[in-house]
Amino acid sequence: MRRSIVPRLILALTAACIVIPAALLAVWSFTARWPWPNLLPERYTPRTVSELLFGSAKLSRLLGSSIALAAAVAVLGTAIAVLTARAEALYRFRGKELIRLGSWLPLLIPGTVFAIGFHMVLLRLGLADTVAGVLLVHLVAALPYCITIMADVTRAVGFGLEEQAAVLGTGPFRAFFYAALPSLLPGVLSSMSMAFTLSYSQYFTTLIVGGGRVKTLALVLVPYIQGGDRALASVYAAAFTGSALAVFGIFEWIIYKVQRGGT
Amino acid sequence: MKRLLTTLLALAMALSLAACGGGNGGGPAGNSLDLSSAAWEDIVEEARGTTVTFYGWGGDENRNNWLNGDVAEYVKERYDITLDVVGMNIEDILAKLSSEKEAAAQGSIDMIWINGENFYSAKENGLLYGPFTHQLPNMDKYIDPEDPETLADFSMPIEGYEAPYAKAQMVLYLDTAVTPNAPASAGELMTFCQENPGKVTYPALPDFTGSAFIRNIVYELCGWEQFQDMEADYDTVKAAVQPAIDYLVELNPYLWNQGSTFPESSNTVDTMFADGELVMSMSYGPFSVSTGIDQGLYTETTQTFVFDKGTIGNTNYMGIAFNSPNKAGAMVVIDAILSAELQLSQYATLRELPVVDFDRLSAGEQEAFGQVDLGQGVLTQEDLLRHRLPEMPAKLVPVIEEIWLNEVVGK
Repeated sequence: MRRSIVPRLILALTAACIVIPAALLAVWSFTARWPWPNLLPERYTPRTVSELLFGSAKLSRLLGSSIALAAAVAVLGTAIAVLTARAEALYRFRGKELIRLGSWLPLLIPGTVFAIGFHMVLLRLGLADTVAGVLLVHLVAALPYCITIMADVTRAVGFGLEEQAAVLGTGPFRAFFYAALPSLLPGVLSSMSMAFTLSYSQYFTTLIVGGGRVKTLALVLVPYIQGGDRALASVYAAAFTGSALAVFGIFEWIIYKVQRGGT
Repeated sequence: MKRLLTTLLALAMALSLAACGGGNGGGPAGNSLDLSSAAWEDIVEEARGTTVTFYGWGGDENRNNWLNGDVAEYVKERYDITLDVVGMNIEDILAKLSSEKEAAAQGSIDMIWINGENFYSAKENGLLYGPFTHQLPNMDKYIDPEDPETLADFSMPIEGYEAPYAKAQMVLYLDTAVTPNAPASAGELMTFCQENPGKVTYPALPDFTGSAFIRNIVYELCGWEQFQDMEADYDTVKAAVQPAIDYLVELNPYLWNQGSTFPESSNTVDTMFADGELVMSMSYGPFSVSTGIDQGLYTETTQTFVFDKGTIGNTNYMGIAFNSPNKAGAMVVIDAILSAELQLSQYATLRELPVVDFDRLSAGEQEAFGQVDLGQGVLTQEDLLRHRLPEMPAKLVPVIEEIWLNEVVGK
């Protein structure tokens, strides 16, 4: 009996850590004034929600551009990661360590330095202030995570299934897509979710490289957090989290469909 | 490992060299029009149908809505200009302009919301286009050319490199239901803090508002005239502000957290005041209390006040980036914001002090300005302007901030 209490306690604690802040966020979204030591807000307001929905920031456009950008980063980043991880986990070649180190570099360099350096390079290439430039910088920021996730999964799956398919006479592409990829799908899902979250929550890199021309939800949200408008920041944060969760749901659903169709 | 590192370094260098070589030439595409000598009608014609970007702080939802609403509609209707408002902190804007200058790259910023030490450094480093204000018809029509704030921004000569946008003035406020008597001087503030220990503080410098509050204390205790032509030398300034340092150190024990730390921004101080953790707060927006009351953030009994000896006021401005791709469009939008119509709408919607000279307005316009309802808990415009003191020279501001950091915090 004693043994089952500890995991339950931990579970309850973890749940509380997620649910309580989320509930607070919901309350703050409607709060005008909440002075200490009141248990509940003194005054509520619809100002923030109407600002979110009907304000000049145009929520639908922001959501569209942020989700499209992050989804592109998720798909491209994961495609690159699947290939890189395959090379890294299953092949031996000269310079392999270099590639491994290279894939980690964006994590090792401080974010501000990374963004400003990247901006200088893109300025010279004529890609600063463009969607392509922002896509590139998000991609580079997300790749270390995607590659690490995929490398572990790829190593676990190995060559076995593909070799078996080859023995039965399948070509290398079909063998990869039909034999290996389905087993890699859980990794693909994690990698896509990770890349999506990373791109979705980028503020500084988007601001510097996109020069304010590429508009995302984070770009509108962060000034309100910095500006100390807690109610407005809360309502934007709720929209931010909610939309990200919805996209994850869609990812899961697609993978589920694909897996069911595949087997 | 060593070989790996050398290869890596070589690779990095090769990459950055390649990047240098790939530059696509300097400067914005040549305008067909020579702007500096062009007639206003030609500038307006050049601007017609273009997009203008306006970069500035994006943390005020009311201002964002005003720019995207009233101002955008005004320039769309009259000049077919599309206004694109981009929220970005001034430090990031200047950093972006510096990198673009270094790379000799085409810019994307047209208009900038700027003033004070940022204007000083931007103008010094050639990040602004100008002079241009002498070409704006509304500058001539509505702005008092002799006003010290038209001539200089924190004592930095403007010389046509920026046009006024709105006037700000330092104000203090408290909740009269909690503390009925507002202090009217630095001396009374000391007593006020002693009566409300741990419930007063100010934003840590270099916060905009915190810095202005300290300059205000300096003005009151050391006089303001001597600073107008002082050298920006640490020891000279320190000797001059010594009475203020002594006062602030004496004040520390009665402040929030015994003055060992200060909240990092004026927003935090405002939030703490709204939560009842502090009994007094301060703002650079003279009418911000009425907006706060309207939003339900402050109680109806919140009241603005200033010290008898006055508070610092300054103007914020609009400039044009040196590499702006649409300078003509930027000039037209700036001119539009200087119009009596938009200044009135800014005064009425945002409750910002207008920059237009009252005597230059028509009788009808004067009446319209007079009828604006400024809401509750604020001082009148006349009352504010009567208590208005000039800003300190921009180059002294960082010196005072450094002195405060060394001599006041935690002492």
